[in-house]
Amino acid sequence: MPVIAIQNLTYYYPNTSVPALDRINLDIKAGELVLLLGGSGSGKSSLIRAIAGLIPEYYGGTYQGKVLINRQEIQHIKRRDLAQQVGLVFQDPESQMVMTSVEQEIVFGMENLGLPNQLMKRRVMEVSSALSISSYLHGTIPELSGGQKQKVALASVLAMQPGILLLDEPTSQLDPVAGEEILTMVRRLNEDNGITVILAEQRLERCFHMADRILIMEQGRIVHDLRNQSAFSVLAAKKDISCVPPLAQMFIQAECPQIPATVKQGRDILRSYLTEDAVIRSTLADKAFRRRKDPDRQKEILNIRNLWFSYHNGQEVLKNISFSMKAGEFVVLMGSNGTGKTTLLKQINSLLKPDRGQITVLGQDSRSLSVEDLACDIGYLSQNPSDYLFLATVQEELSFTLHNLGLSDDGISHDILERLHLSQYAAANPRDLSTGQRQRVALASVLVSRPQLLLLDEPTRGLDYVLKRELGNILKELQAEGTAILVVTHDVEFAAEFADEIALMDQGSIIARGDKYAMLSNSTFYSPQISKLFNGIVDGVVTLEQGRQVLKTIMAIYHNREVV
Amino acid sequence: MLAFHEKFNLIHQLHPITNLVFTGVVFLLALICSHPLYLLVLFMATGTVIIAAGHREEWLSYLKFSLIMILMLMIVNVTFVHYGETVLYTGPRLPVIGELIITLEALAYAGGMGLRLLVIISIFCLYTYAIHPDKVLKLFSHRGGKSVLVVTLATRLFPLMVQDYIRITEAQRCRGVKFGSGNWYERIKKTLPVFKILLVSSMDRSLQLAESMHARGYGSGRPSSYQIELWRSRDFIIIPVLGLGLLSGLWSLMHGWSSYNYYPRLADFQSEEIIMAAVIMLTLSFPAILNWGWLKCRSLRSKI
Repeated sequence: MPVIAIQNLTYYYPNTSVPALDRINLDIKAGELVLLLGGSGSGKSSLIRAIAGLIPEYYGGTYQGKVLINRQEIQHIKRRDLAQQVGLVFQDPESQMVMTSVEQEIVFGMENLGLPNQLMKRRVMEVSSALSISSYLHGTIPELSGGQKQKVALASVLAMQPGILLLDEPTSQLDPVAGEEILTMVRRLNEDNGITVILAEQRLERCFHMADRILIMEQGRIVHDLRNQSAFSVLAAKKDISCVPPLAQMFIQAECPQIPATVKQGRDILRSYLTEDAVIRSTLADKAFRRRKDPDRQKEILNIRNLWFSYHNGQEVLKNISFSMKAGEFVVLMGSNGTGKTTLLKQINSLLKPDRGQITVLGQDSRSLSVEDLACDIGYLSQNPSDYLFLATVQEELSFTLHNLGLSDDGISHDILERLHLSQYAAANPRDLSTGQRQRVALASVLVSRPQLLLLDEPTRGLDYVLKRELGNILKELQAEGTAILVVTHDVEFAAEFADEIALMDQGSIIARGDKYAMLSNSTFYSPQISKLFNGIVDGVVTLEQGRQVLKTIMAIYHNREVV
Repeated sequence: MLAFHEKFNLIHQLHPITNLVFTGVVFLLALICSHPLYLLVLFMATGTVIIAAGHREEWLSYLKFSLIMILMLMIVNVTFVHYGETVLYTGPRLPVIGELIITLEALAYAGGMGLRLLVIISIFCLYTYAIHPDKVLKLFSHRGGKSVLVVTLATRLFPLMVQDYIRITEAQRCRGVKFGSGNWYERIKKTLPVFKILLVSSMDRSLQLAESMHARGYGSGRPSSYQIELWRSRDFIIIPVLGLGLLSGLWSLMHGWSSYNYYPRLADFQSEEIIMAAVIMLTLSFPAILNWGWLKCRSLRSKI
């Protein structure tokens, strides 16, 4: 018997002519863990909101069809009863918090349900110990890290004991360790407590292995409903779908007959091609893939020496940082939430000034330069691209930067729009564009000044695989032209694919920096799927292309030996 | 960023309603009184309570920020308003404004309005730093109407808006916008886009917050209470005293003592006005006086 039954659901947001949900028919059984996949704007969030009853009650719009929760039509269920049956955790932990203290946030939903005091106290105790938040139960939310906030959001929903848990990209803003922790908890809730889970995610590599069922959405429709990961892999091999995780993609591209869903399955397949006497330990990565440094591009762009910085509250955020970058280098800065990565970027472009130590940008001491002075040479794109966009057209956004910096448009804005595939939107309002397009407009507004150093803070947040690849390719082109690129991201797969070097930050210090092949291999959390796959079999395999070639080589050796 | 931090003093230990009564009484009196003496008394009483609550530093930074606004207000008022018989300065003829005449009365009027602004800003400072936002929100979610809830949430979101403002300004500075350069008109012109983005992002944030509240059953029926705020003797003592302060203000209003004639010449202060202002000062400073006793006298602390 399905706990969720959707019959012919079509939904239009107010004042839109394109349906956000288009003829959805779906049954979900009790206890299933359903993974909802699809590109940006495919309708995942809308479907989740329809199951939570927020569509149409909260959003309005045109609604046809039925959503049944436990055989009862959702529009006939009292809101209080529905909140007890269906719990929803949103993407941004910050925006869903109503109260300021952790304990009050957890009880907020229960109070709204009118539960008795004793029961609330028991449930607070239960969820706080189950989700390991007892140590900061009496703290305040602004003091928590991103992962802790998301755990509190999850606890506040679980305290209402819903039978159905909906999660809308709950790990998109978390570092790999915190993301893994949240997903492990979700899995445990599903397995131990039998809670039905619907999980919308962009970073498939984190949760693909958990799913009982995979739904793929495109343009408001469920285009594929797959009962297991193998079915997904088979489909991925046949069709060019956008949401294939890197691991499966590699096996597809290597024309391997079997497509794994998990790293474990992948290693099993890989082992079937290897015999004891034919274990390959050659580091293909060292020979063929490592980028040779161009001797013409040894111009130093950035040099940080013994940088220390504390905020006004006395919190020491950066501790003795020494770091340099040359033209044409592409470095990714990784580390857990709140470790000082964004602060370091702000130091580099002079939004903040060092307490001690020195930052030299293009040979000039940053203490004597303002952020506005450096804006020509350093392009900085913060976490939220919407902070950049306010003008009526995309073209005006680019002209605005040029005007501020006193630069003339020698055809650069046309070139940048062309390169970022934005020419057709030059006259469009940036706020009417999709997430990926908006992000490209913000990037264009920075690139138009031809910066020699580009700083990007979490640029892949909210982007699907296709958009991420597009962004990565643009950055590689810029790198090839000599732009030094420093990216802060939690996205290990993106770092593995596009960066040259990785720097790891922890508690205000850079604890390691090196070649991505060395840095991203043999790590539990800061390691891409492909590297995990080849761990102990072939050293230093990190990128998709590298993995494909190694896999093809292994398969070829195997087939040749069979022939012999 | 949470402005409120629990401190060991009486003001922080009061029932949220008592604190709201204080802010409400001062706010109301600041609106109905135009007499500079009354406004000064309100300012001093609020300041005393803020200092008693342990927020002197924060209050001073609020005042520093407000003084710039008040200065602008005074410049605009004395430039455009030519009423008043005591001319302090006669300047050249300016376009649109005409002859520049600065009068003592216009200056005093602007000072009075500035004082009113200081009282309101001080009240906001007290509300932000000395009253737990969760307690206020719960109070109104249980009893208040929708509009009160909106105001409560707006004040709860204010620190987040400040964060947004800083972030957006930084993003624009990275595009070469120099907010600190140029004349006043140019500076305002540069700041307008920031407010435009701020408005949109605040709307988005409010919608997400409302959605989260809706999804967790907010407003779906009568809520229960996890923690019940206790009424203590201190609340029963302070509220009637504050009520007396309010009645004194209303009494003054009825007799016209709380209003003041700035034009055509500054009026003299009457003895009744001074007496009632002193009563208001005493009653509204009462929480601070009681706080002093609460901190100094252990037996008083145990009794109230």
